[in-house]
Amino acid sequence: MIEVSLQLLTFLAASLLIIIGIAGMLFLDNLIKKLISFTLLSDGVNLALVSLGYVPGGIVPILEPGASISDFPKEAALIFGPGIVLTNIVIGVSTTAILAALIIMLYKRYGTLKASKVLKGEME
Amino acid sequence: MSETVVNLWSIPLLVVIPILTAIVLNLLYNRVRAIRVASVVSAAALLVVSIVSPYGLQWFTGQPGVASDGSYTYSTSIFSWKLSLEYYFGPLQQILIFTSSLLLLFVVVISTRSLKKDFGPYVAIMFLTYFSTVAVIMVNDFYHLWIVVEIGSLLVAGLVAASGAGSAQKAALKYTFFSALSGSGLAIALALILGITGYANISDAISFLMMTDLGNMYNVLYISFAFLMLSWIYAGGLAPIHPLKSDVYRSAFPHATVLLQAQSKVMLVAIGLVLLRMFGGLPFAREAMLSISLLTMILGVVMALIQTDFRWILAYLIVSHSGLVTVGISLGTPLGIVGGLFQAVNDIVYMSVLLLCCEMLLYFNNGTSIRSSGGIAKKVPWLAAFAILGAFAASGIPPFNGFQSELILIQAALGGGLPEVAAVILMVSVSTFIALFRGIYSIFLKPSTNPLPEGSESASSPPRGMPIILGILVAITLILGVYPQLALDFLTESAVKVVYVPWVP
Amino acid sequence: MIDTFMTVAYLMVVAVTIGSVAALLQKDLLRAAFISGAESIALAFLFHALLAPDLGLTQAVVGTVLMPGIIILAILKTRRDEESD
Repeated sequence: MIEVSLQLLTFLAASLLIIIGIAGMLFLDNLIKKLISFTLLSDGVNLALVSLGYVPGGIVPILEPGASISDFPKEAALIFGPGIVLTNIVIGVSTTAILAALIIMLYKRYGTLKASKVLKGEME
Repeated sequence: MSETVVNLWSIPLLVVIPILTAIVLNLLYNRVRAIRVASVVSAAALLVVSIVSPYGLQWFTGQPGVASDGSYTYSTSIFSWKLSLEYYFGPLQQILIFTSSLLLLFVVVISTRSLKKDFGPYVAIMFLTYFSTVAVIMVNDFYHLWIVVEIGSLLVAGLVAASGAGSAQKAALKYTFFSALSGSGLAIALALILGITGYANISDAISFLMMTDLGNMYNVLYISFAFLMLSWIYAGGLAPIHPLKSDVYRSAFPHATVLLQAQSKVMLVAIGLVLLRMFGGLPFAREAMLSISLLTMILGVVMALIQTDFRWILAYLIVSHSGLVTVGISLGTPLGIVGGLFQAVNDIVYMSVLLLCCEMLLYFNNGTSIRSSGGIAKKVPWLAAFAILGAFAASGIPPFNGFQSELILIQAALGGGLPEVAAVILMVSVSTFIALFRGIYSIFLKPSTNPLPEGSESASSPPRGMPIILGILVAITLILGVYPQLALDFLTESAVKVVYVPWVP
Repeated sequence: MIDTFMTVAYLMVVAVTIGSVAALLQKDLLRAAFISGAESIALAFLFHALLAPDLGLTQAVVGTVLMPGIIILAILKTRRDEESD
């Protein structure tokens, strides 16, 4: 059977998540569904960034006591991407919260969750 | 040298005071008097700090990789990279932060009348918007750049939705959904730049790019350039997404739009300079930036000409004049960059005059539509006078500051061998005049058609002190128009550094 | 050579993809929120497999509790079913 590396596979999954997220935000008509699509998009970006830093057969980038310092940079997974992801998760949560608040306000005003009615509907 | 560089005391103050004030105002919640005192004191303190501060650096981890004379200091550790998260406060930063602080002070003074409740959180969002404005122009690392742009876009949504109208909430929702794309793109660009160069610090990354042959990794730079440019377009509301941003501008309260337009122009300057320093050498990079700027200018001013509401006219003119700022930056010559930066300063000031006049219309007139009653000049002569002076400044009439910066931009365009760009700038200037005076004539100067009974048009009385605020702002436009050297002294050094020593912040 | 860990990782890749599509295809919004939370558990495991255990922990907490919590709050304040017309 064909050997597929974990990195390639997760990269594929990440791009699928990003595509599903963007497509959901563009084409789904329900505002809550758009919100869930947004979380999927941010998950996909996080997964892509984490898999960028993966080193096959490497170790977790934590310098344990007694470990060899000279071998560490060669073996450890890169932490560029993961360092960003931690912040991106937090930003994703805060954006989700703001979007949820806006959706609740718009629902109270218009009484519907359909984006086609809320966003393109009657102006004022 | 790099060992003797000490952290500057004023940068933490400029960043921390707005955040602390926002927390305190949130706690005060609805005590209007206490909120007014606390916010005015804090805004005045920020203004003083921005005036008296010396120039210098503030870094959080590691040492600055680049010494002040441009030499490259490289310290090896067990990791071959270092995280130099760095803020820089220089002349350019000083004048932009001074302008934003002044506007924050004015806006805080007059904003107390516009809301019935939830007043504390609203002013807190204003302070946080100011924080994002101040931080984005001072950052010298991609990490903070990304975070500040993200925070800024979320705050735009909050400030717009606070005005309470349904259209405002819709605009905020659309703008925040789009932030998913631009924020993710900025994160990916940051990761790619970190992967190529190994530095989060912009100075270090540029030094690395200059010293190292990237080989076949060169194509990755284009991807990160494209994503950074997406966030530039998003933060500043440039051409492809100008409908979203002008929706945001016109549906917020006009005094909130004062802060929003200052934020987006400062973000345009900050990210634009980063793009120019980092990717200015890439083929087609400057051409791509220039074409988007031209598109923005033309689309914005054309949309402004066909609007029938003064708020909409101003919203599209702000978008169009953002294009004037970026056209100077993307010309890439020192003269062009000086013109772009000067235009940014002038633009923030004269657009504030017009927006505050628009705010007063909500009190003296029954709306801002140009088909409304008219005849404001008879009722409130000083307001009409300030609006006309602001419109003169915006359309580049000689004794005002808009003329000076547009002159520099036209000279730079001609000097760069691009007379077409100069023609577009002239066209924008003339069309701005037509669009503004179409609105001003029918609202202010035309005799009133259906006179309203006195005192019935607005429930709350207009904020006091408005003539003084407008007077100060118009005086600034006049002073900068007569003595442009006052501002140019601050800007020239930064522009020259961007072109000749891009690795120096 | 395929060991157990890698097999589970491959399964999780499939779970993430199927979970994301399944969440968006639900008619019941509350169920969609729960499925997106389940998808986050798979994602947290993938972070662990990609040598970022700290992110795995964060994602497990944020993605399964906080994010679906916010979405469920929004659903409870609005409506649970998707309008059809």
